Amino acid sequence: MEKQHSSGSDSPVLPVVPRKPRVLLAGNPASRQDSVDSPESPSGSHVEWCKQLIAATISSQMSCAGPPDAVTRECRSQDCGEEHGYRCDSCSELPSHPPQVFKRQAPVDEVQLVPGETVKTTVKDVIYICPLTGAVTGTLTVTDYKLYFISLERDDPFVLDVNICAISRLETFSVQSLGENTSGIEIVCKDMRSPRFAYKNEEQSKLEILETLTKYAFPLSNGLPLFTFQYKEKFPEDGWKVYDPVAEYKRMGLPNESWTIRKINSNYEVCDTYPALLVIPKSIEDDEIKRVASFRAKHRIPVLSWVHPETQATIVRCSQPMVGPTDRRCKEDEHYLQTIMDANAQSHKLTIFDARQNTVADNHKAKDGGYENENFYPNMELNFLEIPNIHVIRESLRKLKEVVYPTIDEQRWHSAIDATHWLEYIRLLLVSAVRIADKVESSKSSVVVHCSDGWDRTAQLTSLSMLMLDSYYRTLRGFQVLLEKEWISFGHKFASRVGHGDENHLNSERSPLFVQFIDCVWQVMRQFPTAFEFNELFLITILDHLYSCLFGTFLYNSEHERVQKEVNSKTVSLWSYINSQPEDFTNPFYVNYENHVLYPLASVRHLELWVGYYVRWNPRMRPQMPVHQNLKELLYLRTELQRKVEELQKEVSASHSISSSSEHAYSPSHGCTPLHTSG
Amino acid sequence: MLTGSKTTFKVRQLVPDMKERMLSHSSFHTRGRDVLGLCCLPGECVLQRAVLVRKKLSVKEGSGWLSGTLFCTHFRVAFVPQDSQRPDDNADPVLLGDHDVALASIDKVVAVGPSRTKLVTPNGSLKFTPEELVLYCRDLRVFCFLFDRLTPDAQAMEITYTIAKTYQPLKPGTLLSFQNSALGSIEMKQFLSNRRRDPNMNWFECSADWEQELERAGATGWRVSSVNDRFEMSTSLPRFTVVPHRVLDTELKKTFAHFNDGRIPRWCWRHPRGSDLLRMASFQNNIYHEKDDIRNLELVLFGGQQMCVIVDLGEEMPSPADIQVAHTRLRTLCLGDISSSVSVPDDKWLSTLESTRWLDYIRCFLRKAAEVACLLRGGHMTVVLQESEDRDMNCVVSSLVQVMCDPHCRTVAGFQSLVQKEWITAGHKFLSRINYHRDCDKEEAPVFLLFLDCVWQLWSQYPTRFQLTEEYLLALHDSVQLPLFSSFLANSQRERCRRSQHLPQSYTPVNGLRELPMGEPEEPVDPPFPPVWDWALQYSSSRRARFTQPVSQAACIPPVLNGNLNTNLERSWHSDGLPGSVFLLSRSSFSNPSNLLPWRSGNSGSYWKSHRRAPSSEGLSGLERLIRACSLSDPSENTTTLHDPFEPLLPLLIGPCVRVWRGCYLRGALHPQAFSHPMSSCSQHPLDQLAFEVQELGEKLAQASVRHPEHQTRQQEPRRLESNLNQNANNGTFLFSSRSSQHQPPASRGSTRPTNLTRAPWTASEPPRSAQRISGKHTFLFGHQQESQSVQRYIPSPSAKYPKHAGNTH
Repeated sequence: MEKQHSSGSDSPVLPVVPRKPRVLLAGNPASRQDSVDSPESPSGSHVEWCKQLIAATISSQMSCAGPPDAVTRECRSQDCGEEHGYRCDSCSELPSHPPQVFKRQAPVDEVQLVPGETVKTTVKDVIYICPLTGAVTGTLTVTDYKLYFISLERDDPFVLDVNICAISRLETFSVQSLGENTSGIEIVCKDMRSPRFAYKNEEQSKLEILETLTKYAFPLSNGLPLFTFQYKEKFPEDGWKVYDPVAEYKRMGLPNESWTIRKINSNYEVCDTYPALLVIPKSIEDDEIKRVASFRAKHRIPVLSWVHPETQATIVRCSQPMVGPTDRRCKEDEHYLQTIMDANAQSHKLTIFDARQNTVADNHKAKDGGYENENFYPNMELNFLEIPNIHVIRESLRKLKEVVYPTIDEQRWHSAIDATHWLEYIRLLLVSAVRIADKVESSKSSVVVHCSDGWDRTAQLTSLSMLMLDSYYRTLRGFQVLLEKEWISFGHKFASRVGHGDENHLNSERSPLFVQFIDCVWQVMRQFPTAFEFNELFLITILDHLYSCLFGTFLYNSEHERVQKEVNSKTVSLWSYINSQPEDFTNPFYVNYENHVLYPLASVRHLELWVGYYVRWNPRMRPQMPVHQNLKELLYLRTELQRKVEELQKEVSASHSISSSSEHAYSPSHGCTPLHTSG
Repeated sequence: MLTGSKTTFKVRQLVPDMKERMLSHSSFHTRGRDVLGLCCLPGECVLQRAVLVRKKLSVKEGSGWLSGTLFCTHFRVAFVPQDSQRPDDNADPVLLGDHDVALASIDKVVAVGPSRTKLVTPNGSLKFTPEELVLYCRDLRVFCFLFDRLTPDAQAMEITYTIAKTYQPLKPGTLLSFQNSALGSIEMKQFLSNRRRDPNMNWFECSADWEQELERAGATGWRVSSVNDRFEMSTSLPRFTVVPHRVLDTELKKTFAHFNDGRIPRWCWRHPRGSDLLRMASFQNNIYHEKDDIRNLELVLFGGQQMCVIVDLGEEMPSPADIQVAHTRLRTLCLGDISSSVSVPDDKWLSTLESTRWLDYIRCFLRKAAEVACLLRGGHMTVVLQESEDRDMNCVVSSLVQVMCDPHCRTVAGFQSLVQKEWITAGHKFLSRINYHRDCDKEEAPVFLLFLDCVWQLWSQYPTRFQLTEEYLLALHDSVQLPLFSSFLANSQRERCRRSQHLPQSYTPVNGLRELPMGEPEEPVDPPFPPVWDWALQYSSSRRARFTQPVSQAACIPPVLNGNLNTNLERSWHSDGLPGSVFLLSRSSFSNPSNLLPWRSGNSGSYWKSHRRAPSSEGLSGLERLIRACSLSDPSENTTTLHDPFEPLLPLLIGPCVRVWRGCYLRGALHPQAFSHPMSSCSQHPLDQLAFEVQELGEKLAQASVRHPEHQTRQQEPRRLESNLNQNANNGTFLFSSRSSQHQPPASRGSTRPTNLTRAPWTASEPPRSAQRISGKHTFLFGHQQESQSVQRYIPSPSAKYPKHAGNTH
């Protein structure tokens, strides 16, 4: 809600607002330089929106810092240089506003582009149909990256900015109320909003809008490349270097006496949806692997995801065994799992978690899939986690969208949320992940996790339990590694599940499993607010760029495809952007809980709908003031006080050495209060 | 602390010793520390105890288990952690330790055995040795104690029995013995009689208090009338009422008869834009309106304003009975009592929550208050809240409006004054509504708790605009269940005064600081009840420290509402209604029914004839425009106005924004999934830790700067800064206020000088004099640490940069 920010800047708030840029300068001069140079910050607009929320929050806190005076005016004008264009999303309209403030800003009717972005069409006199306040007339611009609407008809510009790749489908509808020649278009987005526009039905503009929108919203269906290949931003950090599998396995203490890193899949010949490097029990021979691969669906053999640093208990992931209706056996597979169990001396059991519902798994058996028969796998214990499939989750989120956008039924809000079952599925995931983590941590037993293909629910479960078990994954970098490893390299089918640039919105392959996972992370984060180095903005940013096609990170279905398309060399990584300005994404109250295992409470009464993400586009929504801003002030005060103490102590000791009065001997060591709260 | 004592050798060694001591120890009646560490109140007897008990800690406390000793006295169930610090024997008695619960708060005692769970009643028997003891409280807390296998079985049984027998059973008459066991001892009476009242808040007990409030609000045209001084006009009204200047007491007397229970329209608050908030009961019908009466009635209703809007709270708002039903349902849902074995399945939790209707009611009150707040923002009118009794809904709405509009009411002192004004003296029937005596079940309704929930909703949407914290609201919420406070133990001010007749009727302001000796105990039937605001009596200083925001916001500027301060702003609304128009606001729309004022509806009134004209429809639409701002509650409206301190905090009322107060209702949600939390038990909550560190640093600075007074250049800066910080202290920063303010001259009250909207670090220098003048404000709440050292403090210079991630070095 850029407007809020702008409104912040004309009111007597300013002493603080300019401080934010300064932080950044102090923190990471290079990166800041970068984003100041380019008028449009390279982030997606949503990130800017979120950041502005935070800025607005800071300013609103400072609202009473003093009456407007000369000083604050100065600050304001300084600040303007660093502010980016107006952007606003929910349809807020501002009442009267001192106009001069607004004029000092960069010209708003000029669309600000990211490097490599080009304007495709601009249409005047388009009407935005705001669900709350009605029609707003303005100019609509479509570029190959975004859709940008600005209205100057009121004192305050109204801006709407949508990533064009986040569009799920375009629907036309008729608008009787706005005159005969008007047609309407509803832009249904993947990120829980659907703005509606209306425009005069003159031949030219109609063609322009719809065609351009369709063309660039679904480039792959129209024979165009994704925008990410045109994106030319340069970042000081290289996000493609964040995940180095060998280094990550080394961090876990691998290879060790029972596990090795094998290059058996280096040309993706064993399994084309697995990464090139796999961690496999040392004693297993190559041909044995090939036979196991043929027994597992999509050749996704059991490989190590995580190993406990002390107990050597492991989390192993794979796909379902192809036992079929006749209960086929595979000696090599049985031996393989036995070897995995033996690799952990602490336990004589191996627990297999099948994420599916028991009945569904039985059905899969009829279709040549199935699950491990405990008779053939003697020391194994099989558990079904009863998690529904991707179609159920997709439906659930669709219902959730209906509940939150564009209007909310106050009276029925809670039962409507219940009816979507979204929180119920979140709970199931968390409960299951806690079970896995507990098995590994408390029972010291190795676990094998699979669902059908081992790239959806399996990825959710392994990554969630790893997040609970390993504090490294709760850091900013560590979480990136976790995503790169468990989701991206192990072949979660991002392209199919999200449908980047594809117009077939009814494709049943689509499902918001990754969103669901990030929601789970948010829930855990809410229960342990100081255990994560990153903040909510980081999670929202990840989700926004899941759809935006600005970065190459989440594109394509597997490592194999990514190598073929040369994603690493031709596109920018999301982590380049994030790690170039980590200040925005860090939690100031992070306490490193090293070696702590998080067991979140997974009852629905301890879960909450992630209002900050799902409901943020609701026109009635206003950002809540996060208390942590308040706490930041406290941190700031502490640092300042600390500095003063140190200064004074220096001075005291200096004057002591002159006067040499021994009675006031002062121990400088007292000055260094241990900073428990600073990670 | 978390280390389970089960297996440690040391503890095993201790057990026989403890038993011996138990047996030999007979005199429980001594004041001071018990052998096992319970610091008894004077006269408090330990009835039973159990050693090696573990208490389950809430998430806020760091989760996990804390081992120690469990006690049951006549007054409370106390738990003393094993390695707790030896309390200072000379410290003032605190009713409840951090792990204690008063017997009167307990609702249910449940014993959990190896295979079964049983609700323990005073008469019931227990056929198994409990392994776990769960206490469900009326304030929705749940205490869970685990008996170690080394706890002697007899002790586990006995203490369970004792608690079940002694806790406030559901029968009338046991209240007094509870009260006496807490406050009845001679030492305690003496101690209470020496307590000072909080001089920072307004008690609204004498006419000077009301005059001060008038001055604070900048209300002109109003005066304090003592016509009800002896409660002759109305038994439920306070002794003093604020009425328009132009009405003489003799004239005023005649108006009482026109209102239910004599609750005439009374002034509550003036919005800085110049409109006044009033409240009254419903009109008495079938009463003859004399011409003079009508003039007076109109005068009382209109104050000095041209227009009057009557807000009817009777029909739209949930009735007290509705609130009671909703609250009971909510409590059942949230407590999840394990003995009843009726638990709500997880996937129905939200629907069940919705069906309690509690959140609906919350929204209803917030919406009404927001509408009224928007009306008041329009200026130039009186807004009169009307409810048939004027003792429930009016209390909620009028105080909510003030919390929304008046930053002062968002400070602890201001909030307490507000409750004093709109609830306690105004005659909310606390005694019946809370039903301490269990004798008015029909009247029981947690209206006040509903109000606290509404405030919490506002707080959770605008946490930074409040000086008080959730912790404070919780403390107040829990205190309501404790039948020890004069504030809640009466239905009206008259009852309170009668009870304390031997007390001086009013007290004289001495140099701005008023004292009220609680009177000599002349064998009163009841012990002297302290006001609930005496927090030091109830809670340890560490808990009280969390009552205010660690970083003060400017929200708590002493609001100087100089009448029509802002009336020229473009948003102010000029009445286009005719002078003398009265409108009714009901269900978010305005109307002009002819029988709104009973004296105008008849043909008898000649006054009315002269004013009879077509009702002004422009007036209506103008008014509707005013409240549309709130019903839309459009975000932009709010953001531009966030910076005006008197702009109301309009809450968002859409579904996701009215939330269940988890911190309160789900405190006790005990679930098997409560796994160990990473927070190590010995460390405080990070926030407390941080606040503590800041304080410590501040003190270090002070020492350092005191050491070198000869250092000229250094001294300059601290002194200037000190003044800022003291000012900050006035704003309620506990980090700074408590110590430095001790020796300051007492605050002179009634200062109307506008203090800058300050946030300490960025203030330019402020005359030190003014800072000192107001810095004594928190002496009562925080001044118990005796420290006479002058403390000088630092503040970052205005040019200071925001640190890069303050200490976030990874």
